[in-house]
This record gives sequence, structure tokens and C-alpha cells, in this order.
Amino acid sequence: MKNLRRITQGLFLLVFIFLFLQTESKGRDELGYPVKIFLDFDPLISITTLLSNHSVAEGFYLSIITIIATLLLGRVFCGWVCPLGTLNNIIGSLKKYNPKTKPLNWHKIKYYILIFLITSSVFTLQLSGILDPLSLLIRSFSVSIYPIFNYSVSAFFDAIYNLNISGLSSISEPVFSVLKKTLLSFQQPFYLQAAFVGGIFIFILGLNLFEKRFWCRYFCPLGALLGILSRFSILKRSVSEGCNSCGACGSVCQGNASPDQKEKWRDAECYYCWNCDDICPQNAVSFGFKGRKASASMDLGRRRVVTSMITGISVLPFLRQNPFLNSGHYKQDLIRPPGSLEEKDFLQKCVKCGECMKVCITNGLQPTFLEAGFEGIWSPILVPRIGYCEYRCTLCGQVCPTGAIKKLDLKEKAKIKIGLAMIDKGRCLPHAHATPCIVCEEVCPTPKKAIWFEKTKVRDRNRKEILIQQPRVDLDLCIGCGICETKCPVVDKPAIYVTSIGESRSKENQVLLK
Amino acid sequence: MKRREFLKLAAAAGLASSGIGRLVNTVEAAQIPDLVVAHGSSPSNITRAAIDTMGGIKKFISRGDIVVVKPNIAWDRLPEHAANTNPEVVATVIQMCFEAGAKKVKVFDRPVNDPRRCYVQSGIGDASKKAGAEVSFVDERKFKEITIKGNALKSWPLYTEILEADKIINIPIAKHHGLSKLTMSMKNWMGVMGGRRSSIHQRIDESLADLGIIIKPTLTILDAVRILTGNGPQGGDIADVKKLDTVIVGVDQVAVDSYGATLFGMKGSDLGYLKIADKMGLGRTDIERLMIKKINI
Repeated sequence: MKNLRRITQGLFLLVFIFLFLQTESKGRDELGYPVKIFLDFDPLISITTLLSNHSVAEGFYLSIITIIATLLLGRVFCGWVCPLGTLNNIIGSLKKYNPKTKPLNWHKIKYYILIFLITSSVFTLQLSGILDPLSLLIRSFSVSIYPIFNYSVSAFFDAIYNLNISGLSSISEPVFSVLKKTLLSFQQPFYLQAAFVGGIFIFILGLNLFEKRFWCRYFCPLGALLGILSRFSILKRSVSEGCNSCGACGSVCQGNASPDQKEKWRDAECYYCWNCDDICPQNAVSFGFKGRKASASMDLGRRRVVTSMITGISVLPFLRQNPFLNSGHYKQDLIRPPGSLEEKDFLQKCVKCGECMKVCITNGLQPTFLEAGFEGIWSPILVPRIGYCEYRCTLCGQVCPTGAIKKLDLKEKAKIKIGLAMIDKGRCLPHAHATPCIVCEEVCPTPKKAIWFEKTKVRDRNRKEILIQQPRVDLDLCIGCGICETKCPVVDKPAIYVTSIGESRSKENQVLLK
Repeated sequence: MKRREFLKLAAAAGLASSGIGRLVNTVEAAQIPDLVVAHGSSPSNITRAAIDTMGGIKKFISRGDIVVVKPNIAWDRLPEHAANTNPEVVATVIQMCFEAGAKKVKVFDRPVNDPRRCYVQSGIGDASKKAGAEVSFVDERKFKEITIKGNALKSWPLYTEILEADKIINIPIAKHHGLSKLTMSMKNWMGVMGGRRSSIHQRIDESLADLGIIIKPTLTILDAVRILTGNGPQGGDIADVKKLDTVIVGVDQVAVDSYGATLFGMKGSDLGYLKIADKMGLGRTDIERLMIKKINI
């Protein structure tokens, strides 16, 4: 059973990684793969979205499959499918366990986390994605692990290329080009927060060296949700009379299920890894559909449950202490991807999984830190100095698992404003320095250009008259895509920049009288 | 002009040895024009006929050549938007290079929008691959600082593959531009510039002419199947597109662009970079003094 499980885990991990790698444009406006399907199957995301925003996540119906599977088979998702679980498994196997060390038995913590997340979502907070294993994994890979991998591999091959000792690059370059076509990204992605997000992820993996599947056992809220559901499962573990309490199963249990203690067996913690069955010298352990329900009741403690709920409620006013909400003004750098819902709805739906950032072809979508308040940590914003919103691209809406970013067709997208460009006349070359430059107009993608010229006679320092084209922005036509800011040749602080004002999703954040 | 004098001589020799009727044919076949303007409904056919009228592809491409074919693939637009070179024209040129025995035909550009999208949406990526070309994205490591000693550009990082090629065929599209008025073949070489090329807009005319010091295309094929008359260089509005069903072929890129200007109701000397290029001796804008052959297919 062990090998079958490992093969299954490996396959799901490979599928996950494959779909992750496919979350990249190949030039068409469709990806051709259901890259977010793992998130679609995630009931934690579905349930919390339903509660926080009273809306159905894209993959709602698929997540019901996971729920039903868990009701029938228990937490097989954790033991056989979850790619983060598999990674934890792999890292955990790097360490040899001393069978004498007792596990921490903190398994209840994850239920409190779950209760906290569910309660807070009832009160319109969507925080589940921060701890949801699939969201966490995709975010960590997108923003940090993959860019670091990409950077290291490219740097290695670039070094060989640049050294070019005795034709070494004639061997390395073909290898590099194969890697470029398969594992590496089209261009090196860079993200704000990469070290922070990646550090958390590496810490989570590192916990496995302390106790195997530490995260899964003690912190994973999806594991907790599936654990609760699995208590009703019909696939049960049973122990026959032949058990002589040798304790062998206790040390191989992946969960924190106490298989060696008959009365204290915690079926909600069982990942159905079959390790106890495999190791039992008496062959006394079996999994089947006829087993009796013989397990310790899940006693979370009323006080603690209430405490988690109260925390879930009270965190709301805590996180929403945002003076901007009351000032009538808006955060200028909070430029959301095209198709994003109005900010309040957006935050209720965005799970910060990082899919949109991974797929963004210009690398312009970046994770926030506190720009959107504590509530919006790691939600996406466009940072035009890094990358712009490609006019005819709609990929971010296609990969968003909850609909925080709506799927748009090209016609709809052409009408959506994510902000407006403003010219800094003190820095703009034609305005301030009588020097020609039309880059912003040239790259402006609207069919009738939102940037137009005013032909003006100016004088240079020597009183010589120059006819110059000074760019102006048509606020009606400008969609705020930011390409002008990205490409502005005034390379540090741009002479044209986009802010969120004018964004279609907001009624209030407007500059023009409508 | 030496070639033409030789041909006239040859024609005279023909006159001496043959009847008048035959002579006319010989002159028509042998006299190679400075520019060919081909008009017709099939982009592929007019391209082929124009090159044939220029003396045939074998005159330009030799067996075993590594050829760079440089279309304009700068924008994430469809062929009907006339922002990028017509893919059929590009594919035809690639096919003809192989017919002449080219060893390899390379196609690339350094687009302004996302390269993946530009290559796919323009149709040029697929069409070129189908024609057998090696289509690649620009590799930033392959730019090298090249001394130009021009008026505006003293040196600039240029793409080494263009400098290492045996033959270069430039296939720009004729379209409107906010600063240089029109962009055609001379401006298409911005696509092989590395670094912060957008800053050349500060002295665009001199800079474009300076590029002509270094980059000497074997042949220039101006795509005017569709031209973009406004909101260039990337357009996006079909209303700005005019269908002319024309290609212009020539060796002198200044002359090709000067002819291209007439499609927009201008003349070569109206464009600053052509005027400077003419003065620098890189080509000529006085196309009325050139032999231009117009063909209809």
C-alpha cells in the first residue's frame, strides 16, 4: 500500500507542478490547461468565499467532490493528494525519527484555526487563503520559490555562457534551451515580498525536521475541515484481537492519530496512509468499509472553541482599522488587476493564492504588503514601474479561483479602467526640458490614443525656438494600463505615472464628472 | 549604376547581333530596376513577383547563406491592425531564401509588447516556422556594444545575430508614427537595438540615420499590403487601416522608404531621418530619378 500511495502522491505532485508551470502565457489568450484546478477542488476556499461574500467560487461544484470523497473515504486528500502534504512528507523523511520522542499532540490547534477562519468569514473576512495549503503553496511557489529556482539556474548557465571556456557553452547552451522550454520561465520573474513569503514557506517545510508533517498535523485548516468531515467516513481502520500493543504503528503514523492507543485512536487525524497496516507485525490492522466506529471523541473544549470564534469576530474591526476607509480618499498605488471587484468585495473574495501574479505576462502584478491594509496582505496590485497591464491580455481573470478578478473578454476589457495616467510636467522631457520624447504616446495601446500631443513652440536655453510635441492625457480614453509609466525613459521616478483614480470598479474614486 | 551601364552595354551588344523584336524582350528581362512596386490581391504572389523582377532571389542569397529576415513584430496586434509586418509576405521571403539554397533563415524582433504575444498574435511566428525559419526570442545576452561613430549614436548595444549574418532582409510595414511621422524600413532597425533604446527619441532622426551606418540590409521589402494611417505605430482601430495590396522591393532602403512616404501623401525629404540619411550618402530620396518598375499581378 505504501508504494501505491507514494506513486499517487508523486503523480498528484507532478500534475500540480506541471499545471503550475503551465500558468504562463504562450502567446495566446488562453492557457489551454485548467491551471487552478487544485484550488477549485478546495472546499475551504469554497466555503469561506460563500460565507464571506455570499458568492459561489468558480470551483464550488468541484469542491463538493472533495467533500463527498472525504465523507466516504476520510482524509485521503491529505495522505494521497495534497501536494503540500507530499512535500512535507518528503522533507520529513530526511530526518530519522527517534521512536521514543513523543509527538507534541497539538492537533487541536488546526481546528481552532479553522473555527477562526470560518467565523471571520461569516463576518466578511477572507483570510483562509493565507493558511490554506493549496493557496499557500501556489503563492509561495509563484512569488518566491520558482523565481529563486529560475534565477539560480539561469545564473549558472549565464556564467558558463559568459566565461565561454573552450566551447563549454556549446554543451551547456542546448541544455539551457531545453530547460527554457520546459522548467524555466520565459523571463526572470521578480516579486516584492519574495524573501518574506519564501521564508515562511521554508519555515513550514523545516518544521518537518522537528516532527513529521508538522504543518499538516497541527496547523492546516483544510486538514481540520477534512478531519471533521472524515469522522463520518465509511472507510474505517480497525484493529483485530491479534493486536498485542507492541506500539510499532505509533512511530510510523503520519498524522497525529495515536494508532497505538486503541481507545485514544483519533480517526479525524488519520491520513489513510496505511503505514500502520503495513508495519503491523501481527497483521492486526486493516482498513475497510465494515469497521466499527471506535475512536476517541473530538473534544476541542468549549472555552477554546468560543475563544477561537471570538477571535475570528474581533479580528474584523482590528484589521479594518484603516483611516483611508473614512477619509473619502483612496490609496493611489492600489491599482487592482482589470476585472477586479470593488475593493470591499475584492477583499472578501481574494484568497491571495498568487495565481494572477504567476500568470501576469509583464510581472507587473505584485503582492501587496500593507498597501491594502492587513486584510489585503499579499493581494495583487499592479506596479507599473515593474510591469504594465497588457492591453489584449485577460489571463489574470481566467486563473482567479474565486472570481475576485472577473473573467473578461477582450471587448469588455478594452472598456475597463484600472486607473489613470497623469503627467509630471516637472520631469517630462518635452514639458520641462524642451527635449523631444514621445514614448508614452507611442506605446499607448488604446485604438484612439489616450495620450495626444499639443504642438508647442518653446525656447531652449539659447533662446532658440523649437517646435515640440508635449504629451497630454485624455482622461476619458485612458484605461490606466500603465505601459506609459513602465516604458517612460525617465527611468527612476517616472514623468508619467498611473494611480488608481478613475478605476471602473469604484464609484467614488473618480476624477471626472460623470 | 555600374550594373545598369553594363546592362545597357549588353543590350547594345544584343542589338548588334539580333533582330529588334528579340531586343525588346531582352531589355525587359535584363534591365533590373532600382525599385519594384508590386500590386495584387495575394501578398504572397506580389512578394514573389517583386523579388523576381528585382533579378530573382538568387541574386541576393547564395547557397549556404545564413540569412536574417527581420519583420516588424513589435506589437500585440492582429494582422488586420497593420501594426506588424504581413505574415504571408514574411513567409514568402523565407521560402524564397530556402529556394536559393540558404542554410538557415533566422527570424526575430525585440518587441515593445510581450514577445510571446507579439509573435503569436501577429501570425508571424507560426507563418515563419511553417516556412522553415528558426524563430527565436531575443536573448539579452547577445547584445554587444558596437561603435557607430554617428551624429547622435556614438555606440549602442546591437544584436550580434544581425551582425554575424551572411545576408539581411528587412521586411518592415509602412505605418504612421507620432514622432518620426512614418515608420518603415530604417526605423525597423530599432528592433535590434538593446539597452534603453526608447531614449533615442530625443534625437530620433539622427539616431535612425546612424543605425544605417552599421546595418546594411541586402534587400528591403516594404509591406504595404495594409498600411496604418493614424494612431501609429501600434494602431488598433481598423478604421485607420488602408488596404493597398502592395509591396515595394529595393536594395536602397532610403529609396524604399522614400517611395513608402508617397503612399501617405508625403515625399522622402519630408521625413527627417531620410533627409539626413541621404545627406550621409546612405541612400537617395530623389526617387523620381530612379528606375521604378510597377507590376500588377
